[in-house]
Order: sequence, then structure tokens, then C-alpha cells
Amino acid sequence: MNNKLTLLAVSVASVLGLSAMSNAHAATNTETLAKAIAKQEAEIALLKQQLATLASEQKQQQQQSKQVATQVDTVVQQTAEAQDRFSRFSFNSYGSAVYTSDEYFDNVQDTSAERRNRTDLERIVTEFGYQFTDDWSMEVEIEYEHGGTGSALEYDGFDEFGEFESEVEAGGEVVVEKAEIRYRPSKAFGVKFGNIHLPIGLSSILHKPSQYLTVQRHKSEAAMMPTVWNENGIGVYGEISDFHYQAQVVSGLNSEYFRTYDWVASGHQKRFEEVNTDDLAFAGRLDYGNFKTGSAVGVAYYFGNTSGNRHKSNKLDVDGALSIVSVAGAFVEGPWILRGQYLYGTLDNADAITLANKTTPGLQPGNFAQLGSESQSFFVEAGVKLDEWFDLPMTVFANVDYSNPLMAVETGTATQRYENTWSSVGINYSPIPEIVIKAEGGLHQVAVASIPDTNFFALGVGYQFSL
Amino acid sequence: MRVKHTAITLALITALSACGGSGSDDTSTEIPDVPTTGFSFVATEMITNLTDDVIVAGYANLAAKGDALLLATQALLSASATQADLVTAQNAWKSAREPWEQGESHIFGPVDSLSIDPHLDSWPLNTTDLQTQLDNNSGFDAETIKAWNDDVQGFHTMEYLLFGNGVDSNTKLIADLTTSEREYLIALAEVFRDYTTLLDDAWQVSYNAEGATAIPYADLLKTPGDATNTIYSSQLAVIEELINGMIGIVDEVGNGKIADPFGESISTADTSKVESQYSWNSLTDFANNIIGVRNVYQGEFTGASDNTGLVDFVAAADATLSTRITSEIDDAILKIQAISGSTDMPFRQAILDEDGRVLVQSAIDALTTLQTSLESDVLPLLSDWNS
Repeated sequence: MNNKLTLLAVSVASVLGLSAMSNAHAATNTETLAKAIAKQEAEIALLKQQLATLASEQKQQQQQSKQVATQVDTVVQQTAEAQDRFSRFSFNSYGSAVYTSDEYFDNVQDTSAERRNRTDLERIVTEFGYQFTDDWSMEVEIEYEHGGTGSALEYDGFDEFGEFESEVEAGGEVVVEKAEIRYRPSKAFGVKFGNIHLPIGLSSILHKPSQYLTVQRHKSEAAMMPTVWNENGIGVYGEISDFHYQAQVVSGLNSEYFRTYDWVASGHQKRFEEVNTDDLAFAGRLDYGNFKTGSAVGVAYYFGNTSGNRHKSNKLDVDGALSIVSVAGAFVEGPWILRGQYLYGTLDNADAITLANKTTPGLQPGNFAQLGSESQSFFVEAGVKLDEWFDLPMTVFANVDYSNPLMAVETGTATQRYENTWSSVGINYSPIPEIVIKAEGGLHQVAVASIPDTNFFALGVGYQFSL
Repeated sequence: MRVKHTAITLALITALSACGGSGSDDTSTEIPDVPTTGFSFVATEMITNLTDDVIVAGYANLAAKGDALLLATQALLSASATQADLVTAQNAWKSAREPWEQGESHIFGPVDSLSIDPHLDSWPLNTTDLQTQLDNNSGFDAETIKAWNDDVQGFHTMEYLLFGNGVDSNTKLIADLTTSEREYLIALAEVFRDYTTLLDDAWQVSYNAEGATAIPYADLLKTPGDATNTIYSSQLAVIEELINGMIGIVDEVGNGKIADPFGESISTADTSKVESQYSWNSLTDFANNIIGVRNVYQGEFTGASDNTGLVDFVAAADATLSTRITSEIDDAILKIQAISGSTDMPFRQAILDEDGRVLVQSAIDALTTLQTSLESDVLPLLSDWNS
């Protein structure tokens, strides 16, 4: 290797030596100048070439940055679209847990009450909504009642020695309370269909814990008709100046499940997977003002037959026409809250329905078959917000609930055992707007003279939020 | 290797022939496929007998007593009705009570599905509402009353009208029976008659009054396993229903009818919960409930000639158990009857009496023993039965 390198070095050195000698011999001024010019020209050409390269590189860079800009634009657009989609999606939730302390009677002869305290994760409700376009939207409301699903064992103190009844709750106690699609081209007119809320009863409108003052929803309404009543159907609604209107055609009730103590409430067909819809019903409402946001007055009307929806259709050959009228008002101004509702209902052929229920094999309404041909209930709640005067986010209230599902019967004399009045006072405390803590104490009176008045007490906590 | 095989084969043959040598011709002996456990019993006759001679006969008797009760109450409508007429009606009521209470040992089938029990025998009575009806109405008719709630009709409402409030006595004077009480009583008796007829028909004519093709419920019980029998899939299912029926009433009498008003002590005893307290017929009711158990167990009514009953089924499995159950049933009946003591004390008074309470407790104990035996010893026999 070393030998080879040495040989190469010697030959290189001789070549260099030869050329140096020739340069030295030809060195003249003209030649030098021409050479210099040529050299400069060569340099200029090189520079030009370099400039051209630079220009093309710049062009390439510009193209690249344009591409990046396009990409950024695309991403920005996608993000905006995603945000838009998200803003079209809505999620709300509300719920409540309550503690109640009531006095109970063992049986119909018992006049010495026994106190019973209970706690209940009353409900957790989730609402999902999506605005497809400006006109089309949908909303699904799922309610988890009493903290779970499954069958329940209930104690019935009015039956013989007091009997335990196992009851499989309708589809468990996870209930789709609303699943509606809405088309609303204008404020004045909209259509909704699917499983929709009936606008009968204020509980359908004011069902979040912060929207009513009592710990539990108004007992008077629950003792007469389905509360937060939902049915499959179609409805139109809208708002013209301060008037709100609704008109619906929905699936009717099933009179097989009407019971003495809550009139037509348990006729709400939740027990089965499919709802009998042989009898339809009409529901309508007209409000002046808005109950949800403030003061309002309104009337509502429900009418429907109920015999056609019976499972055993051969037990009854007369219509069980049901109508319910509601008148409601709310005055919410400054610190003052005053709300009230009166419900009156009539049921045709109540005796025939009673007899059919009593003699349908397996239906077993027991002692609760007799039905009122007329029913009524009302509530009035009044509250004052203390934060008007004190630094305290608290409302004190007074409430009266009255219900008589057996107001009148077709024959005989109606018992007053189901004529109940609950009078109470209490507070609502909201440490933050999304949470309300409630306490209520009151008196429960049954119209039967021999049944003594009892006291009840309740605590509750409710929440609500919207994304 | 060959040598070894041959040797083993020879040894085996020798050994086998040695074994075989002890018997002469038993090569045909077969080992049974199923080991003989459990017991055998042919249940067809028992089921037929219990259905026809105990259950159906009982409901037919109840329907007849329902007719008699209606007649007896109708005699009270006249203003000239006498105390003797009232006593006749009272006795007709007690007489109707007997087949009904005995029938509570088999309270399945139509009596359950048609909700006959609450229509006839709701308890406690709603005296407040009853008084309201009496004060505000007149000229009661049966069809109207049927639509009213169960706690103002049936046995105990009639009892209250016939016997008075039962606090100090169980005798009512005919003069104290108001016109509206008489009218109401007659209408109630008519409702009662209708329901007992419906029940009897359900067993003997058609178990579903609306289904034109439905067969008598008695036939369903007697033909378990038939292709058309949608209620009972096997004789085992029928026997299980019968045993559970007995357990059900023993439980209700011991832990409900007697123990509920009895309470933990005199201070917690509650006469308002005593069934048939107006007529002071409670102990007869309770005894009849357990006599009903005996009817099903023995296969015949008390005093009738011997017939096949569950006693024979149990005896096929365990003769000792069979007689033990017989004596436990008899003991429970005797202990219930003994509560009245030497002074003929009604149940509503006995639970408020120190000596009476001792007797009540011993009746509860006897019923507990019987219930335990039926649940722990009799019911499990079903899994041993080679049906």
C-alpha cells in the first residue's frame, strides 16, 4: 500500500511542476485581461445559474407554504364543522334524591298510625338532543327511577292482613320518557312526533327539581292522572306573540289498570313492550305567557276513549270516554312565586269498567276496582325568595295539594277514604344555581272523620345542568 | 411373550370357571340399569278422588249454602220477621262459612284467577264506608253492589249486619236490624250466591266463563300432561299444587289469622285484626281451615268412608312420616279448638286473656310444627317419587 501511494504522489508532483512552468512562460498583459474577463464572465454565469436555482427554490417554497396554508384551512374548516356539530348536540341532566317520613295505617280499621321513614333515589334523567338542520331536531329523554331496574316487592296495607305483592316494574325502571323528532320551520308553527309529552298537568312542563317548590312533585296530580305524561303520537305547537299552543293526537289509556286510589293514572300503558293504540286521544293546551320562565295562565284539555285499549277486549262493550280539563296559573315576579292548578275529570261508564276489572281473570285489582265517574284535584304553592333582602339564596314556601279521585261514583255513595289534603311549609336552598336542597313539613288529612290527621316531613336534593 | 399370553389366558379361564362353578345356571342374571331409589305410587286415583270428592264436592256444597243463605236473608225483609228468622240467617251464614274455610286449603285455580277470594272474604271490613252506604242509599241491588269495593261486601259485611259489632256479644236483636241493613244484606247475599255459583261452574262446567271451549277446571287437574292441558304438565305438578295449598293455609292460619291479632304481648294484641270477630266464629273458621288440610291429606271429608289421599302418597314413601303428619294435623285442630277453654271464650277475648294467650301460643306452636313437617318432609318426597 505504501509503495502505491508513493508512486502516485511522485506522478502528481511531476504533472504540477510541468504546468507551472508553461504558465510562467506565457504570461502577457492582454492574455491576462482576456483571462480575467473570461473568468468574470464565468463567475457571472455561475451567479446567474445560482440565482435561477434560488428563484426556483423560492417558487417551490411558495408552493409548499401554499399547500400548508390549504392544509391549515382544511383543518380549521374541519374543526369548525366539528364544533358546529357539537353545538348542534345538547345534553341535559337533572335528578333528585329524597328522604320522606310519613305515618301509615295498617288496614282500613286501623286508626293508630305508625311512622315510616324512607329514602329514595327518586330519579336521574338524561336528555340528549340534536339539531340536524335549522328546522329539524330531535330529543330523547331517559329516566332512571328509584336507582335501578328490575322487579319490586310492594307492601299493600289495605289488603287483608297487609299483603306483599311482587311487581315487575314496566320495562324495569329505566324509562324512555320522551323520544321525539321535531320539525319547526318557524316560531309560530312546529310539528313533533314520536314519544311526546302531553301538555296536561303542570308537572309535564315544570318537572325539574328547581321548577317546583315541594320536595316531591305535586301529589294531587299523581293521584289523578299520569304525571309527566308521555305517549306515542304527533302534535303541533308554536308561539304567536305571547300565546303558546299545543294540539296532539296520541295513544290512549287502558282502563284495565284504572284503580280507585289514582283514578286513571295507572292506566298509562307502561307495563308492556307495545302500547295498544286502538283508542286514540286528543290533548290540547293554550297558554298565555310561559310557565317555564315566568308568569302565565293556561287551559288544557284531554279527551279519549279507553275501552278499546284493553287486552281482554270481550269484557267491556261500552266506551270508557275520559276527559280531563286543567286550568293553571303562575305569577313569578321579583321575589314572589305563586302557582296553582285545578284538574277536573270525568269517566263514562265507570261502573261497567269497575265490574269488568273486578271479574277479569288474573287482573286482580283487589279492593281497588271501584272508579270515580268524576275526579278532581288541585294545588297552590306560594314562595318568597329571600335573596331580595338577605344574602341568602333561599326560598320559603307554603303548599296545599288536594285530590279526590273518587269525587263521585255512578251508583251508591263515594267513600271519602281517597280524598286527601296535604298542607305544608318548607324551604328551597340553592348554594349554586344548579343545585337545590329542600325541606318540607306538613299535615296529611283524609276526609274520613275516623282517620286521624298525620304529619309528614321530607328532605330532598336536586340538581340540573346543561352542556 | 407368547408363552406369557397363553399363561395369562389360561389363568383367567381357570379363574372365571372357578367363579361360575358356584352357581349352576345363573348366567342370565341382569344388573338393573337404574338403581332402585325413591318410591313408587300410582297417583291417578288419588288425584281423581281429591278433585271430585274433596274439591269439587266442597265448592258444590258452598254454592248450595250460598243459595240457602240468600233464602234465609230474604226472609228477613218482611217487617214481621222474627228473632228466629234472624237466627236461621245467622246459622245459614255459619253454615256457608264451613265449606269456604275448608276450601282455603286448595285456594288455587278459578278461586284465584277469577279473584273470587277478595270478592267473598275481604278482611278487615271497612265499617266507615259501610255505614256511609247504609246512611245514603236504599233499595240496594246486587249488580250495583258488585261494582263497589270488596271491603264493603262478602262474608264479613254480612256477618257484621247479622251479628252486630261483636265487642260484647255475638247476638243481635231483629229489632236492631234496620230496613236498609236488611236490604243491603239481601243484596250482599245475592252477590255472594252469584260468585259461589261462578266458582262451582268454573270447576264443573268451564274454567273460563268467557272461553266457549274451556273445559271444567276439574278436568285439567285430572288430566295432567295431556297435549291440551296448558295448566298442569304432569301428575307431579298437581301433587305439588295440592301440597303447597296445604302449606299455604297452615302458614296463613298460624302466622296470619292467629299470630297477627295475637301480637307479642297483651299490650300489642289487636282485636281489630281478628277475622270473624262479629259472629265470634273465629276459632271455628281456623279449625275449619285445618280440617280442610285434613280433607286433602286424608282424601275424604271427616267421617266419610276411607278414600285415597295424600296420606297414601306419603305412606308409599315413609309410613312413619305419614302417620306423624296425620297426628300433627289432628293436634293442630285440637289445639285451635282448645283455645276457647272451659269458659267457651271467643278468640277475640282469648288474645286479651293471660290463660287464653297460653292456649293460643300452643296452637301457634302446633301449626308451626305442622308447617315445618309439610315443607321439610312432605314436599321433598316429590323428588323421590318415581312418577
